[in-house]
Amino acid sequence: MLDWLKNKKYPEFWNTYLQLQEEKSARYVTLSVQTTGLNPQKDVILTIGCVAVVNNELVIRDSFEIILLQYIYNHDNGFSNEFIIESKMPKSPQSEGLQKLVEYIGNATIIGHRVDFDLEIIYVGLEKMDCGKLRNEAFDLEIMFKKWKESSDDKKFTIEEIAQALKLPKNDTDSTIEEAYAMGLCFLKLKKYLRID
Amino acid sequence: MTNSLASRISEFLSFYTPFSELSAEDLYAISLSVNVLTIDKNETIFKIGDKLHDRFYVVASGLMHISLISDAEENLIDKPAVGEVFGLRPFFAKNNYATNAKAIQDSIIFAIPVFAFKPFIANNTKILDFLLQNFASSSSDSTENLGLGFTNEGGKTYETQSEIQFFQSLEYNKSPLLVHSEETVQEVAQKMSDSLVGSALIHESNLPIGIVTDVDLRSKIATGRFTITALVKKIMSSPVITVPENTSLAEAQLLMLQNNVTHLCVTSDGTDKTGIVGVISQQDLIFAQASNPGVLIKEIKRAPNAIALHKIRIKFEDFIQNSIQKKIPLSHINTIAGEVNNALIKRAIDLTILELGSAPVRFSWFSIGSQGRKEQLLFTDQNSFLVYEDVAAENNLMVKEYFLRLAKKVIAILEVVGYNATTLPYLASNPDWCKSYTEWVNQFNLWMNFPGEKSNVIATLFFDYELAFGAIEIEEQLNEVVFKNLENAKKFYAYLGAETLKKPAPFTFFKQFNVEEEGAHKNLFDIKNRAILPLVDAARLLTMSHKIKGINNTFLRFKQLAMIEPKYADIYLNAAEAFMFFSKLRTKEGLKNNSTGQYILLEELSKSDREKLRSAFAPMKELEEVIKNKFQLTYFM
Repeated sequence: MLDWLKNKKYPEFWNTYLQLQEEKSARYVTLSVQTTGLNPQKDVILTIGCVAVVNNELVIRDSFEIILLQYIYNHDNGFSNEFIIESKMPKSPQSEGLQKLVEYIGNATIIGHRVDFDLEIIYVGLEKMDCGKLRNEAFDLEIMFKKWKESSDDKKFTIEEIAQALKLPKNDTDSTIEEAYAMGLCFLKLKKYLRID
Repeated sequence: MTNSLASRISEFLSFYTPFSELSAEDLYAISLSVNVLTIDKNETIFKIGDKLHDRFYVVASGLMHISLISDAEENLIDKPAVGEVFGLRPFFAKNNYATNAKAIQDSIIFAIPVFAFKPFIANNTKILDFLLQNFASSSSDSTENLGLGFTNEGGKTYETQSEIQFFQSLEYNKSPLLVHSEETVQEVAQKMSDSLVGSALIHESNLPIGIVTDVDLRSKIATGRFTITALVKKIMSSPVITVPENTSLAEAQLLMLQNNVTHLCVTSDGTDKTGIVGVISQQDLIFAQASNPGVLIKEIKRAPNAIALHKIRIKFEDFIQNSIQKKIPLSHINTIAGEVNNALIKRAIDLTILELGSAPVRFSWFSIGSQGRKEQLLFTDQNSFLVYEDVAAENNLMVKEYFLRLAKKVIAILEVVGYNATTLPYLASNPDWCKSYTEWVNQFNLWMNFPGEKSNVIATLFFDYELAFGAIEIEEQLNEVVFKNLENAKKFYAYLGAETLKKPAPFTFFKQFNVEEEGAHKNLFDIKNRAILPLVDAARLLTMSHKIKGINNTFLRFKQLAMIEPKYADIYLNAAEAFMFFSKLRTKEGLKNNSTGQYILLEELSKSDREKLRSAFAPMKELEEVIKNKFQLTYFM
């Protein structure tokens, strides 16, 4: 709101994004973010994977994956960029990648796992591009799972543990897109059990 | 290829037909259009009468059941497992789904749009053939699947009525009316009327040369085309359609339809060059169908009282006898008998509820022991228990009262039907075995966590329970309790193992059969306790230790074990065969003497049967070793 009062100039794609938020969407998007660490200010995003859920089904065509090329971070920390070269996934510099992500998500509801942190680190990136916070509604799988289990203690659950408790088959999720897929399956089940429309 | 999920899916699909026929690019394009669904156990994807979806399905994980309803029975026709396709109807038909697709386990399903796949069918006959075959074998119209057959191994699928007809034998008139060709029509008609038959065979030295039926008399004499003084050879139908002695119901039906006749002549070798043995009329076919299990089940559902049920069960005995004579695999007969027995119990409960008024809370009636395992062919003991929903403490007495009365009546009905209820204490009419859900959970917990302690003797047969009537939820909850307890049940396994090995040995020290030494069954061999039960117990123990759900049948249990433990596969398969052999001996004995078949007289067996019996005990020895190795039996030995 404050931004608007100051009459701040947003990039074009962000305005389009904001316009989209005025309508509610029946589309959900799982969000899996791989970072270098847990400090939103100092650490950076390496890869992002998403897949859409529409009408209680995962839509394979409507998925999103990207590797962010963190030249500065790698340089500062003396990391090589070998694994980036190995991967077949599309690659972008951070700002371009985040723009694509924002365009992909649109007005969908975001499904994450410990989603607050992911949103925070994305926000740090967006801020540098003169954009604001993501406005989407966001659900957290861990919270949903605990609500379904009716457990109130502080026990933490990883995606693998949630998937196992939901009797989903074990899968290696060594990339964010695969984790997004596993999260999608968990969400389909929890959505049904918690009667979310 | 930038969508790595699609690449993953195409990699998965490429292992399975028909997708293995496609190029990597095509498969990737198809995978891109996939939607992924999660289906929980017992949820359906489509039901009979649903509008066709614009896509078909592949099982990514889990297991589905495709079934159709015919004659008010739900018949399983296909069980798509991982990598298999189902729901192909949109490719081949325009009308609504004719089958139910239901998940048997929690499953993940790939949905593939028809439009994305259709182009590849046109260009690839192999794929088209595969889909057509798959569709035919899992669709409802019997004309479509005639000849393709159902998968039947292990008797897992329920037989459809038409299939039973292929081995169902016929009762027919074995002393047909024989006349000479030189007799007049009037004489022949008089003879037919005198002996109340609808046909007469014209013979020459006992070889059939023609037949005259009511129809001939009507169409050729009564119309005035021939006079009644004409010779019978002028109006007879010739040649006669001849069949061999062991013609099945289905064959006879087919021949009559093909040749448009109402009677078939039975000769010793099925040609008209050998002597006449009898005549099959259309009416015989109708009678034969009356003892068909499908028809019997319908009759059971309508039976007004216990005596009517008894009569139906006696008819079914003929069916069992015939099937055994025709060497139908015992596992098939067991499956059918299981259905018939279940229908009997259901009807007995229905009748009782009609009499007592409806139950105060939901309840489930479980068959245990041989009926629970679907191995009850003879009139053996009935075993059962009853579980009702928890009620407030102050109502418990009243509710229990109702169910005890219900159980007593049901058991009395089943006793009239023929199932013995006097010798064994495991009946739902016993207050110990007619309890609320929580009490049962406690009971199972006690059995499984503290086996063998004090008065806590486990009745192992309680673990072969099968829902006969009532709420399926109760069965599922019980399953959960049992399988949760299996997680940490070393002691329980050890107890079961010891019990298994405690059964009386079949042979004496000198390798002679161990026969009863005294009592009413002196010098008889106890095939139930010395041969069948040890195998039953071993199969139960081993399947439970593998946490295999839903298979109660001993034969199927061994088959399943052989798949899971290839190391011991030979032993398990031999044990399955041995079990079938013992059961067959027992059933034959029981049918012959109208008994439970528990004791057999070894001298009456043929020499080869006796040798077979002896060698059938070999896998039991090996099984014992397996059990000794697997479970720590020291607790209870």
